Amino acid sequence: MVNDPNAVEVKTLNFFYGEKQALKNINLDIKRNEITALIGPSGCGKSTFLRLLNRMNDLIAGVRLEGKILLNGMDIYAPEAESADIRRRVGMVFQKPNPFPKSIFNNVAYGPMLHGIKNKHGLNRIVESSLRAAALWEEVKDDLHKSALSLSGGQQQRLCLARALAMEPEVLLMDEPTSALDPISTSKIEELVMDLKNSYTVIIVTHNMQQAARISDKTCFFYMGELIESGATDQIFTLPQQRQTENYITGRFG
Amino acid sequence: MKANNLKKRKYYTVAVFALFRLAALLTAAALAGIVLFLIIKGAGSISWDFLSQSPADSMTKGGIFPAIIGTFYLTAGAMLVALPLGLATAVYLSEYARPGRINSIIRLSVANLAGVPSVIFGLFGLAFFVTKLGLGISILSGSLTLALIIMPTIISASEEALKQIPLSYREASYALGASHWQTVFNVVLPAALPGIITGSVLSLARAAGETAPIMYTAAVFYTLHLPSSLFDPVMALPYHIYKLATVGTHEALVPIRYGSCLVLIGLVLGMSLAAIIIRTKIRRNKQW
Repeated sequence: MVNDPNAVEVKTLNFFYGEKQALKNINLDIKRNEITALIGPSGCGKSTFLRLLNRMNDLIAGVRLEGKILLNGMDIYAPEAESADIRRRVGMVFQKPNPFPKSIFNNVAYGPMLHGIKNKHGLNRIVESSLRAAALWEEVKDDLHKSALSLSGGQQQRLCLARALAMEPEVLLMDEPTSALDPISTSKIEELVMDLKNSYTVIIVTHNMQQAARISDKTCFFYMGELIESGATDQIFTLPQQRQTENYITGRFG
Repeated sequence: MKANNLKKRKYYTVAVFALFRLAALLTAAALAGIVLFLIIKGAGSISWDFLSQSPADSMTKGGIFPAIIGTFYLTAGAMLVALPLGLATAVYLSEYARPGRINSIIRLSVANLAGVPSVIFGLFGLAFFVTKLGLGISILSGSLTLALIIMPTIISASEEALKQIPLSYREASYALGASHWQTVFNVVLPAALPGIITGSVLSLARAAGETAPIMYTAAVFYTLHLPSSLFDPVMALPYHIYKLATVGTHEALVPIRYGSCLVLIGLVLGMSLAAIIIRTKIRRNKQW
């Protein structure tokens, strides 16, 4: 497992909402400790794809999946795989900051507490290290018991990041994490994501192509449910092999 | 023509808003009127003795303490039964039940339960709790009957509150590996608590004020002793007021009547206020 450089392997994946096919024959390997950006126009399937990686689409009725998704070698859709266990191992940050209406401390401690960590000392340590990893500690260390809703939007999103990191996930999914933020908060999140790749594998959906170009190592272009092209970010943005990719990144549609 | 039209629309706006404001003011005036009337007529008879003593001399003297304590027991008992049951039903309906026949039957039952007249509940309580289960005329029978009456309000208010919790909270919880129940218990229920409390306050007031359901199941006109167990009958404010108004003609009863009304309405407003304070506190802290 450790020798295999791929954190995630997707094999001949097809995905359906009822009769409608949302993803067509996706094959993709995602390397450990890299940032992979998923780009493409609205409705292309990139968010659907992201949410398959932590089984969030299980919550929707009438969906069907063919093919395999391996997380560090384990088939996450195998019958014996538990969705709660998968989600513990794959963290997620959403489009809009969604802290719980609880204190800052309890937001970060929520995951570890669910999974049985009860002692105050252990929780304190996890909360501090997670908040530090999300570059929020210095701003909130004196207000840990204030409501998370009293934070600004950018702080809230970093809190959500800390909340996900508290679980020490193997893979971190980010679904357009900066689309609701101002430019300064956005650049803070981008810096953080770039720091995180030393310890985490990050997969990020973004509508912002500059963002993809700035922060990612690999870029995957989705269009109409198909993975049109994937490769090193430099190459995708300078020498795209497919016509559709070129049209999209040069702004001819999307 | 165009300017004319605009002018017309402006008049309409002004007129319609004036009507709405009038309606709102009338509602407020009705409440203010009732409270004011009771204060004027009844405030004179309120004293510490009135609140803390038993009635004496065929109700013409003394206080109404046993009726206050009886209403308190009945209301608390009803809430103790209805709140957990109602909340559990609401959680089931909003978080677990799949749309289908059983779900619709439960919903239909709840809606219809809310429409049953309270005197029918009283007679049902008499037939079922008092006679069939042999609980007798007692706090227990009365509380159970009142619980049935307020359940629909608690259920629909709680369900509404649960439904208003945004999907994003649930998603955040699931994404951290929480199970369905962990999500409901740790995130959805706490976030819905203020709304649930609001619904419960309304039913609390209702339970305190109902007369028909307790007249067959719990309330008596006079007791020598304060109740010592759940199986004792009690005096209760609404029933006391009803009796004073219909039985006695003695002049000395008049201020006692108004005094009792004032105490009842004060009790209900007081309980509502307490619940509102609790709700505000929870909302402010948000630290569940």
